[in-house]
Amino acid sequence: MSMDQRPDLRQQVTLLELVDRVLNKGVVLSGDITLSVADVDLVYVGLRVLLSSVATLEEQGMPVAIGDALR
Amino acid sequence: MIHVYGIVDELDSLPPLEGVGDAPLARRRIGDLELVVSETPRDEVTQEAVLRHAEVVEGLMTHSRAVLPAQFSRPFADGEELASAVSAKAPELAESLSRVRGCVELGLRVVAPASESSPSAESGAEYLRARLDDERRRSRLIADIDEPLARLSQATAGARATGNVFERAYLVREEDLSAFLDTVRELETEHPELALACTGPWPPYSFGAEAGQ
Repeated sequence: MSMDQRPDLRQQVTLLELVDRVLNKGVVLSGDITLSVADVDLVYVGLRVLLSSVATLEEQGMPVAIGDALR
Repeated sequence: MIHVYGIVDELDSLPPLEGVGDAPLARRRIGDLELVVSETPRDEVTQEAVLRHAEVVEGLMTHSRAVLPAQFSRPFADGEELASAVSAKAPELAESLSRVRGCVELGLRVVAPASESSPSAESGAEYLRARLDDERRRSRLIADIDEPLARLSQATAGARATGNVFERAYLVREEDLSAFLDTVRELETEHPELALACTGPWPPYSFGAEAGQ
């Protein structure tokens, strides 16, 4: 993977973190949510895939810091 | 049906955005709390709807003193149902709202190196000892990362360790944000064996009424 692909990875990590927050975090006002299990699983599969990408980048000497991804 | 984006404190004006399904945003006061809502025809979760919800919450962050983002959930049938749900939790909601004032959320995921213990250890006891050493080493590493960041935070939430991945959310005052990010960078340099993924600043999604200490 080249350095040029890092912004893409950052965006994907950020998007998945965002979806995770909106669907799974946030203050719960109503009792139940209508998400199908399939949707939620997809989000987690995506996160796992991305985490292994992060680990791969790290192995290749490219530390991943995405603190400024939303700036 | 009514979709809720969040609870706001001192909202100066609604952000110039449309809500889920392009519905106009509206303000609604319930007791001492103010909510931002929109009418929604469907209780459907699509990626577009999720992103729109997030965009509105971001917009509210810049137009108010504090936002408690609502989880994307089943819409409320009518104003009455919404009012009774919010009234039932009003004290906790007010407390959470004041806790997140002036703060943003930072997310951290740490990927620790895979286990070093050899699967071909000679005896069961040796194998167990190796596993235990591994666990200790990992918790020490996590503490090394977590403690300095928690010191710069007002609160932490959602600590979770799954396999070799540790995750946590930190509630950080805006004036401490640059110190927090500097510390993340220092920790990355000190721990080349770990992969750190720090995201944010986010609206304080993880610090609602149920969020722990």
